[in-house]
Amino acid sequence: MIKFRKHIFPIVGFLFLAALGLIPSGARAASFTASLDRDTISLGESATLSLTFEGGQSKNVPTPDVPGLQIVQTGTSQNVSIINGAMSSTVTVAFSVTPQQTGEFTIPALTTDVNGQTLTSQPLKLTVLKANAPSPAAVASGSQVAFMQLSLPQQKVYVGQTLTAQLQIYLRDDVQNYGNLQFTTTPADGFTLGKSADGQRYNTQIGSRVYHVIPISFALTVTKTGNLSLGPFTANMVVVLPSQNDGGDPFMAQFFNQGEQRQVTLATDQINVQSLPLPDENVPTNFNGAVGDYQMAVTAGPTNVTVGDPITVRVQISGSGALDALKLPDLSGWSDFKLFPPTQKTDLSDQLGLEGTKTFEEIVTPQNTDVHALPPVSFSYFNPDDGQYHTLTQPSEPLVVRSAGATPLPVIAVNNNSAPQNQTPQDILPIEENLETLAQASPPLVTNPVFLAVQSLPVLAFLAALVWRKRADNLANNPRLRRQRAVAQLIASGLDDLRKYAAANQPDEFFATLFRLLQEQLGERLDCPASSITENVVDEHPVLRGAPENVLAELRELFQLCNQARYAPVRGTSELNSVAGQFEKVIGELKDLET
Amino acid sequence: MKFLFTSLFVLAVAGKIFAADTATDFNLANKLYAEGKFSEAADYYEKILQTGAASPNLLFNYGNAEYKAGNLGKAIAAYRRAELLAPRDEDVRANLAFVRNQVQNDAPRASDWFRLAGWLGQLTLNEWALLAAAAFWLTFLLLATRQIRPALGARLKGVTIFTAMLAIFFGAALGLQAAEHFSTETAVVTAHKATALIGPFDDAQTAFDVHDGAELSVLDHHGDWLQVSDGPGKIGWLQKSQVEVLPGA
Repeated sequence: MIKFRKHIFPIVGFLFLAALGLIPSGARAASFTASLDRDTISLGESATLSLTFEGGQSKNVPTPDVPGLQIVQTGTSQNVSIINGAMSSTVTVAFSVTPQQTGEFTIPALTTDVNGQTLTSQPLKLTVLKANAPSPAAVASGSQVAFMQLSLPQQKVYVGQTLTAQLQIYLRDDVQNYGNLQFTTTPADGFTLGKSADGQRYNTQIGSRVYHVIPISFALTVTKTGNLSLGPFTANMVVVLPSQNDGGDPFMAQFFNQGEQRQVTLATDQINVQSLPLPDENVPTNFNGAVGDYQMAVTAGPTNVTVGDPITVRVQISGSGALDALKLPDLSGWSDFKLFPPTQKTDLSDQLGLEGTKTFEEIVTPQNTDVHALPPVSFSYFNPDDGQYHTLTQPSEPLVVRSAGATPLPVIAVNNNSAPQNQTPQDILPIEENLETLAQASPPLVTNPVFLAVQSLPVLAFLAALVWRKRADNLANNPRLRRQRAVAQLIASGLDDLRKYAAANQPDEFFATLFRLLQEQLGERLDCPASSITENVVDEHPVLRGAPENVLAELRELFQLCNQARYAPVRGTSELNSVAGQFEKVIGELKDLET
Repeated sequence: MKFLFTSLFVLAVAGKIFAADTATDFNLANKLYAEGKFSEAADYYEKILQTGAASPNLLFNYGNAEYKAGNLGKAIAAYRRAELLAPRDEDVRANLAFVRNQVQNDAPRASDWFRLAGWLGQLTLNEWALLAAAAFWLTFLLLATRQIRPALGARLKGVTIFTAMLAIFFGAALGLQAAEHFSTETAVVTAHKATALIGPFDDAQTAFDVHDGAELSVLDHHGDWLQVSDGPGKIGWLQKSQVEVLPGA
């Protein structure tokens, strides 16, 4: 319990004080100050700008913007102090200030809002001095932990020339490690900086100390004439030196001394260079700006072609110089050829991109059979090493150009004017001699209404056959219906016979036919054999009892007429026609009879 | 009746005169081509084509002349039109492939659809239509026969199923070919260098550059402008005068 009390009181006290710190301090006066850790630095070094807020915090911390200074926020810290029972809170925002150039800079007064109060800091001055390389005496004395030297192979150059600059970083032999090398300024007035490459590191003795040398090469291209300057280059790096507080035991120190880090600023001297324009004398007419030292190789093929066939002309320019800027040699003398846009490819052979081969491929096609040679190709360049122009010329190459239609290609003759198989064609196949039948352009069949309508015919034929099949099947499965149709046909033909017999005044045949037709029709209606139908059926069959009386009377009459005819056959044509009409009428009424 | 005969006579004579003129122009164009005067030859071939008549050989020769004259786009368009008429002509396909290889083309064309379209393109749209119609007719006539002569039903069953499957297959091929023919268009760039803009206005910003002979998918029409695509993410507007529009992908 006592132990618990011993711990609880400081905790409560701390919470109490922290709570006091959270109380809005609007009632207390807040302040805002800006300060630099140094007011003078060298180009390549960085200063620290601190913005301090006391008695409150700013919601919008201002970031100064000064041309020539790179200002980047690096962190925020807070400090709470209690003096004589009064607690105060301080918030500090730190910025790294890295100059881009030498000169006097003023960080202007900054204004911010702290707890509702508008506060303004005082302006600050920062002097940035030119970074100087250490003097030779200082280097020789061995006092420099690290230094940097810049060198150029020559101080007199030509515009357009490429050259390699050497930068060497020296680290004293007691530097245990190094890192975070950052170039802060690389001024190069009149030069374009190109690729860089690390060289082979080595050790060298300077004065009484040994230095480890880190060589770095980089490419430069001269872009203008006049007095140019390169450097001073400045850089920062972190080196690890043996700790001065190593505990006293040299033997143990070599195992446990982890060293101490130190940031060092490196600077080179400025190199002044005189850049000369290219000479105006003896300038080749086809010179197109190439500066360097080059060789040229030209190949072309095929050299036995027909008019219009493509010929590939390959121009390879090898050597050292600004290869990317090289242009295809002038081909203005190739008026008998059609020139297609050339392709170009650069193959570099060194890390700095200053040596290699640039290949141009130009497709040309001869336009007539009068061409007997490929014109010469000339390439001129200026060599800064000897200060003279040089012209490389590839002599003309014989060329055989045939008429396009004069001689068919052998491969076409062999393959019956078809495309060759399994080999890359060198040209298009020749034209056809026959025009073939010309046809007017017409819309596709699928948009032709007649074509589409015709496609319905097989469907209609199938539907018709289907209906016919259904009807035939129905008839085959319904003997009553089949008899009905047979009787209907019989009646139709029988009526014709009746009229024929009536016209011929043949009463015997007439009444025999009439009786048979009556039997067939009544037999079908009453669903009984025709031979069983007699006059008695008219009165006895239950189906006929529901028939209209006039129909039954007429049926009786027709049966009686048939019977009477056997005994008194003589009748006139008109009477027979009348009987036939009566029969037709009765037959029609019988068809409506419910069976 | 007299008028009818007179009209037929006039038409027949006019047809013979037209055919003679066409043959003369064709032979003259061939001669110019052989002499290496490719632009002049192309003009004569084009003169025949402007009458609305065409044949695979005429379009083939026109494509050759345009290619030799350095007009890759016009050559490709001519070969493609020849291919529509004679899709199995090896010479047309060989020259089309050759000229396509000369074109600076950023967008690959070997997608699955193009392989399928290439296979369907072995036959013309009309040939697919006739094949599908023949199989369709045969199928329904066999079905009708089976209704009329039920006794033949068992023997005709296999043939009927086979022709029905053929009809379905040819119909599907026809549908795909027709969809490709009618719903897609290709713009072949005939200008030696053209710039697709981000909008159909002369002062619109540049979307991408296209080269002579590039084959672009047509997405939309707007007045004298075409919205084209040169592969995923490359969409722009070209003037119709800079391209030749062809049916199909």
